[in-house]
Amino acid sequence: MKSLVSPWVSWGLCASFLLAVVTGIIINYPYRAEIPLISTVGIEGTVPFGALFRYLHYYSGQLAFLLLIWHTTEALLGQSYRYRRPFFWTTLISTYPLTLLVLFTGYIIRGDETGLLAGRIAENLALKLPWVGELINRLLFAVMEEGAHRAYLAHVFLSWGLLVGLISWHFRLRRLELEDLSLWASVALLLALLFPPSLEFAPLATHAKGPWFFLGVQEALRYFSPYLAGLLFPTLPLLLLWLCKWWPRKAVLGLLLWHVIYLSFTIAGALR
Amino acid sequence: MKNWVILGGVLLLFVVLVKEWRRQRAPQVFTTTSGQVEMCLFCHQEKPEKVHAREVVGCSPCHLGDPLRTDKSLAHRGIVKNPGDLRVADRTCGNPACHPEIPSQVKKSLMATNRGIINTLRRYWGEIPDQPSVRLEDDVAYLLKHPELKSTALDYYRKLCGSCHLWFEKGKFPDFLKEKGGGCVACHLVPGPKEAKHPRLTRKIPTKNCVRCHNRSGRIGLTYQGLYEDEGYGTPYLDGDFGEEMLPDGRFVRPIPPDVHFKAGLVCVDCHLKEETMGEGKTYVHFEESVEITCVACHGGDGKTAKGRMVPGIKKEKGKLVFKDKEGRTHPLKAPDPIKCRHPVHRRLSCQACHAKRVPQCFGCHVRMDPRQRQTDKLTGKETRGAWEEFKSYQRLTTPTLGVKGKEIVILVPG
Repeated sequence: MKSLVSPWVSWGLCASFLLAVVTGIIINYPYRAEIPLISTVGIEGTVPFGALFRYLHYYSGQLAFLLLIWHTTEALLGQSYRYRRPFFWTTLISTYPLTLLVLFTGYIIRGDETGLLAGRIAENLALKLPWVGELINRLLFAVMEEGAHRAYLAHVFLSWGLLVGLISWHFRLRRLELEDLSLWASVALLLALLFPPSLEFAPLATHAKGPWFFLGVQEALRYFSPYLAGLLFPTLPLLLLWLCKWWPRKAVLGLLLWHVIYLSFTIAGALR
Repeated sequence: MKNWVILGGVLLLFVVLVKEWRRQRAPQVFTTTSGQVEMCLFCHQEKPEKVHAREVVGCSPCHLGDPLRTDKSLAHRGIVKNPGDLRVADRTCGNPACHPEIPSQVKKSLMATNRGIINTLRRYWGEIPDQPSVRLEDDVAYLLKHPELKSTALDYYRKLCGSCHLWFEKGKFPDFLKEKGGGCVACHLVPGPKEAKHPRLTRKIPTKNCVRCHNRSGRIGLTYQGLYEDEGYGTPYLDGDFGEEMLPDGRFVRPIPPDVHFKAGLVCVDCHLKEETMGEGKTYVHFEESVEITCVACHGGDGKTAKGRMVPGIKKEKGKLVFKDKEGRTHPLKAPDPIKCRHPVHRRLSCQACHAKRVPQCFGCHVRMDPRQRQTDKLTGKETRGAWEEFKSYQRLTTPTLGVKGKEIVILVPG
């Protein structure tokens, strides 16, 4: 069967994710969840090669997420859902929100302005969930009570879980070529060299922006209720993605429409 | 292709590793006493005064920049040299944790707007109706945003008066103008000890800071200190010698007996309240509307200003009102002479009518504008066509001329 997705992107995703996990292990040693911002600044400013590993971790994580979007789009265009059984399709779809959650908790545990405020918004949204809200908040956030601690554990466990799960079921790590690894590590290195990521510092600002992928939700929350803007709106694309297996045309159209709306909210949020 | 990609990656890694190896690393993460990360303290050893101590406040709350960085170029992004500049004061001195209400009040004060000067000039020169009224354009902030707004009076203001306001950028102009302006620091900054490498901020504003601007027209700042602006131009006519002192702007002064309050060690802000100098959030057209301190507030009154505010320096000790100056010294408050001051024939006299022994009087003021020459617009910093020059016929130091203002007899100070 002809491959439905481009190997270049797929192995790029694999390489970036692997690089993010490896660099994450390295910076995990000097990191301390009880003093997130101080230890993150310490990694950058005092640990030998700490800034390099943090920047690589940051950009390989971002690349992994962007390549996942690309990979998913290719898979949808290639109608790969046809060849997946419902259980596997559902499991595969679940990696999408999990990756997003890993990326999101990564922001929270920096302990800076962007991370902690986004964490507080996420915590309040989680608590709005009926029945399971408290449990989900305890598992993932609880930022106001415990700072970055829960988010840190979620970040580490989810990263490992995803890597182990995907290696054992979705791709074979030993087939990752050194060429792909070198290429995507170079992209991350180049980005780190040219645009060193900053920690956001504006403790007294009246307007704070969350991570770039969260801006749409943040902006939507200005106009709609937390249930609608914070829970239903971000859950909708996952539902549509899942439904692609059964109603592909309608679901893909819905996804397209959702992305147009979300992009508009994101641009509006970024321009504030 | 495959090998080239790998080789390129290795080369890039080498470059980044060398760059990282050469990066200057701090020995620790620096924090303030409140736990805020301030990596600025790794390089900067400057020590401001105790209230803004480096260990407590850090650098970035005042000077902005990025306190989480150790790379100089990244840490200095968005940094400001003068946090007191009114263009940034909302984010620095006026940030929500420090003095949030002050910048908006100061921006409305006459020292920031110069509304009194601009409005009077325009009225006297017939450019606007001869009734004092609040006009949007009679404000330095407005003129800064609208350099295209032109008139003869405004041109005169921009070139000759435009350096005596709080929007004036400190250090932007050379010579004596270098020390003027700077927003909050125009008043609150004093030199610090050499080893501190940082000036000090103070609430005890020295007279010198006020007199940087308040030395023209009525020459109040000079007369208060016992300085008379002389016409001598350095001519050695005083006891056959150069008996003149020179002001930073090149004018000559000679000593005369100072004001009794100056002799007692009081500075301007001992009497003048912060609401007068820094504004109280209201828009005033003229100086008289803003000034509220009166002689009577301390001498024979109940310690309250014309607007009913208690004078901060007045305290009650052993049943008597006394005055505590900014240095903490106590001064007894002398009540007005019950016979001379309360006599019915003197009821219309203002205190100054008798107690101001001498005021400088500058007669025959003329200004000339030469359209062929160019002069610097102090608001924009650019030279434009037309140079203004001031002349006076003569200046004298004598008992002041009295005049009637409303129902009161006051002194007149032509200047």
